[in-house]
Amino acid sequence: MISLLLILVSALFFVGIITKIKAKIAARKMPSILQPIYDVIRLFKKGAIYSSTTSLIFKIAPIVYFSSVLLAVFFIPFGGEAGLLSFHGDFVFFAYLLAIGKFMMIIAAMDTGSGFEGMGANREALYSMLVEPAFFILTASVALFTNNISFHELFAHFHIGSNLSYAISIASIYVLVYIAMVENSRMPVDDPKTHLELTMVHEVMVLDNSGFDLALIHIATWLKFAIYGSLISDFIIKSTWNLYEQIAVYLGVQIAFACLVGILEAFNARNKMNKNPQWIIVLSALAVVVFLTTLIITQKIILN
Amino acid sequence: MTYLFIIIYAISLIYFAFEERAKKFVWLLVIQGLILFGMAFFSLKEIEFFDFIFILTETVVVKSIVVPWFLNRVRRHNGLKRVYEPSMPIFYSVIIVMLGLIISFVLSNTILDNKLHTQFFTVAFASIIYGLYFIIIHKNIFSHVVGYLIIENGIFMLSLAVGSTIPLLINLAVLLDVVMGILVLGIFMNRVGDTFQTDEVNQLTELKD
Amino acid sequence: MTIIILQIIIILTIVLFILPKQHQNNISLLLQLGIIGITSFWAIKAFTTSNILEFPFINLLGHSVSIKIDKLSAFFIFVINLTSLTGLIYAKGYLKPYLQKKNATEIAFHYFNFLWLHISMLLVVMIRDALAFLIVWEIMSLVSFFLVIFESEKKETVKIGLKYLIQMHIGVVFLMIAFIIACVQTGAAFSFDGLSIYFASHNPFPIFLLFFIGFGIKAGFIPLHSWLPHAHPAAPSHVSGVMSGVMIKMGIYGILRVLSYIHEDLFGIGVFILVISLVSGIIGVSLAIVQHDVKKLLAYHSIENIGIIGIGIGLGVIGLAENMPVLAVLGFGGGILHILNHSLFKSLLFYTAGSVYKQTHTRNIEQLGGLIKKMPKTALFFLLGALAISGLPPFNGFVSEFLIYSGMFKSLHAGSLLTDIVLLFSFSGLAIIGGLAIFCFTKVFSIVFLGTGRSDKTKNVTEVEPVMIIPDFIIGFFILLIGMGSFLIVQPLMNVVAIFTENASILSEMTSVLNKISLSSGIFILIIGIIWLLRAWQQKRHQVLENSTWGCGYTGANPALHQYTATSYADNFVQLSSKVTNVKKEFQEFDVDEIFPKERSFETHSSDVFEDNLVTKPTNETISFLEKIAVFQTGKIQDYLLYALVFVIVISLLTYFNLL
Repeated sequence: MISLLLILVSALFFVGIITKIKAKIAARKMPSILQPIYDVIRLFKKGAIYSSTTSLIFKIAPIVYFSSVLLAVFFIPFGGEAGLLSFHGDFVFFAYLLAIGKFMMIIAAMDTGSGFEGMGANREALYSMLVEPAFFILTASVALFTNNISFHELFAHFHIGSNLSYAISIASIYVLVYIAMVENSRMPVDDPKTHLELTMVHEVMVLDNSGFDLALIHIATWLKFAIYGSLISDFIIKSTWNLYEQIAVYLGVQIAFACLVGILEAFNARNKMNKNPQWIIVLSALAVVVFLTTLIITQKIILN
Repeated sequence: MTYLFIIIYAISLIYFAFEERAKKFVWLLVIQGLILFGMAFFSLKEIEFFDFIFILTETVVVKSIVVPWFLNRVRRHNGLKRVYEPSMPIFYSVIIVMLGLIISFVLSNTILDNKLHTQFFTVAFASIIYGLYFIIIHKNIFSHVVGYLIIENGIFMLSLAVGSTIPLLINLAVLLDVVMGILVLGIFMNRVGDTFQTDEVNQLTELKD
Repeated sequence: MTIIILQIIIILTIVLFILPKQHQNNISLLLQLGIIGITSFWAIKAFTTSNILEFPFINLLGHSVSIKIDKLSAFFIFVINLTSLTGLIYAKGYLKPYLQKKNATEIAFHYFNFLWLHISMLLVVMIRDALAFLIVWEIMSLVSFFLVIFESEKKETVKIGLKYLIQMHIGVVFLMIAFIIACVQTGAAFSFDGLSIYFASHNPFPIFLLFFIGFGIKAGFIPLHSWLPHAHPAAPSHVSGVMSGVMIKMGIYGILRVLSYIHEDLFGIGVFILVISLVSGIIGVSLAIVQHDVKKLLAYHSIENIGIIGIGIGLGVIGLAENMPVLAVLGFGGGILHILNHSLFKSLLFYTAGSVYKQTHTRNIEQLGGLIKKMPKTALFFLLGALAISGLPPFNGFVSEFLIYSGMFKSLHAGSLLTDIVLLFSFSGLAIIGGLAIFCFTKVFSIVFLGTGRSDKTKNVTEVEPVMIIPDFIIGFFILLIGMGSFLIVQPLMNVVAIFTENASILSEMTSVLNKISLSSGIFILIIGIIWLLRAWQQKRHQVLENSTWGCGYTGANPALHQYTATSYADNFVQLSSKVTNVKKEFQEFDVDEIFPKERSFETHSSDVFEDNLVTKPTNETISFLEKIAVFQTGKIQDYLLYALVFVIVISLLTYFNLL
């Protein structure tokens, strides 16, 4: 329950902090941190326009996407406690739940019959396919290390012993940050500030959504960021601390993650579009190195 | 602690597969030199003090400063290209380097010798095999030199593995670097652009005056 | 007693030939329901009792052949019955346009073959005696050949059918050799049970390899799959659905049956099956992405799903070899459940694709589009099949993949180094296969049903008649049942897995997990419902308009020209996988001085790398070699007499000089 509340709270401020950091680095005037919330409230007060080419799929897809992300929030643990839902192998369910959300968004984009959205749809399909192995290999490394297979147990038993487990934590956090950037369509895979449809991936998929649907999609983006920030903080927070320390460290990690995303976005240029697949597969390669390190730690590879 | 540097070295190999700009190759060689410095510092505690200082300075100076400086000079002096595209798509190269790392980690598990530091064998094998692969897929001589340097780093690590028993071997590995840096780079490469107008290997196969 | 009823029904199938066209479907449906009733009764009996059901069937060449049904056979009986039933119901509507074109005998022959396909598949899983098994296997191949060439007026169809028949016979040759070697070397009975004596004393791998090739040609593992992508599009849709849904599983049944007798040296066999399955899965779905014939695409997807079943089985065998019961049980459980799941959603996809073909008369997806407005029910069921085959919750494909994943992750800690590396490749491979399946099915569904129509073929399309939607409902019900109520299948699955390992009770530990999955899926649907209601309430108080899609300020052109085509959707994947998919582009370049270019055409085709190198090239070279030898066949009798005379002279010379 606490996990759910914390994620919802940090989701509200996440995108605002990113925009503020980017504006500060670029020496521009900063919008308020609550600006995204004002945008969403404005969208909730509007009606909607639907394209005549679209069908029921277009109307139901944003709802399925939002529900899948909201349900995924229920699985994230905090401190030593499980999320609202937890079972063995729930990270597989988590990954495939996010996948059904993406599936519906992709076919909704193709539903509009517009070439722009088709472009975004097929790029999104390819990149999310390439980033799946990285997530699985990463969780497999932690599962191998702790001999447990639910999110809650994975992090509850993840204690940092030797130097090498520090290395695993840092490498995992590095890969997780970049997985979060790819899944949320941020730099260097996709520039959220571009206005050229030919270079967009995610923004162009939602070009024809309006009103309530667009508000749902924005909130889902915030939640996804907060989910990955939560996973990162789970690597850092130990279950032995007391509750207030944990909450303080959690909020600190979320703010630091948001600032990090802002800094990475401000200083990175977007990749050339056909270089994106190889960039994404480097994440899987790094995850494999983490896995091999775990094999060393658990003494399956015997070295001296 | 050396394990940490081994892992970072493996990551640097992956980034070698991913990059295609000449400047980035040189930067990665600098980083690899620093990693080897860290490895040598933490694992060679048992040998003589003077040898120790010599190896450390050599690693830092030759691998991280002199050789990259030579490479940069050659690059600017001869006006070499900025981007070197390999003949195998980078996507597959990353997958191959991943497979190479997995195979070399599993292979080094089969070496059961207590007197050697087998932890170095892991990335040393991977480094040598990857260096050879690097030379195969790139078609110009600058990348061949970089590939050779990657192989050298692997050999240096192999010598570290036996370093506790035969410190002389590490000195020999060090001297290999010096030979590479001064003889090959300093003399040969500087004249490549002047004598031949190209750096493509195919056109360098006939070495006539 | 019931066996006599079955024998009577089998003989009654001849009756079809004397019936008029309109009644043939109904009578065959009656006969089929009889067969289903009897065999399901036996199957339920086999599941509930603990010993194997056995009774004599017919007398073949002196010795009696008996039917033996254990839990594995009973499971397959259910799978076969379900899909064949839906196939026959679907055929009633699908064959309606053919009733005018073909005469009564041809239609009767078609239904006769369909019933016999069902019967022979049932007999395949029920007979253990090797000679009878091979005979029934042959009948199955022959009957399916006739079904494939139903549209024999097209020359291509007959050629494809012949290729299919030849490849099936090659498979039978391998099976015969394997049986003969195994049973001659040990002197055991010429049946499956005799294999257990052979495997106990010899190295199992060579004979297993022969069996694997023989059964693998039927199952469609790469590189033995070249008949699949041709035969399935050529056959009518109900036949494709049944063939893809259950007939290729007969190959898996054979492999499983042979595996149940092997207890030694399992690690090599497990890794072999796993590697071939991973390759089949990834290459199968990669080739599926570049197809533009919707049924060929679904055929390649069958290859991929056979790969997933093989991954489950391979992991199960590795679990047995390494003494890791969790991996063994969950691997076999997931693989076997996927057999049932795949037969469900693949047949659903073939039926809906067949409905689209019937209404639009084209299988080329580049000419379709916007069909969801004209065929909403068909589109909905295709979407259901697409979501299920991609392994997405809350449908059944996710449950079987989840079991395989659980097995893998639970055994990571206990496994040795080699096992862990194998598991690393397996779950990365499975994740990639899942992602590629999503890529492929978003492409198919959106190009066929969404957007605007890309050609005139979509102009006057209407929904198909209700009798063709009934099988979709039946299958959809089962998909949702297994997806949302997955705890129901734990008990039967445990019984089947128990044939391979004693620790099958581990599956019952998964019941609580599967319950939680059902709970989470329920909450998912609940949240969707709540937000839908919220949106309806919000939009009632505000204005909702309809307008055209945003066209960047240019809405003058035909909207169909602006949207993505299937080739462009697949293009960025093709750039990554060009070596495997082998896509060739045919177009004419513009001339340098052509200022106002005229109309050009552009075609892309993908050819199957394995088929080109393993089938087409050797056959072409053999044919050209034989053509050179054919010089001797002049057709004139004088030349043949000359050959005979030369032969006689040569023989006498050799005898004279004592060389012979």
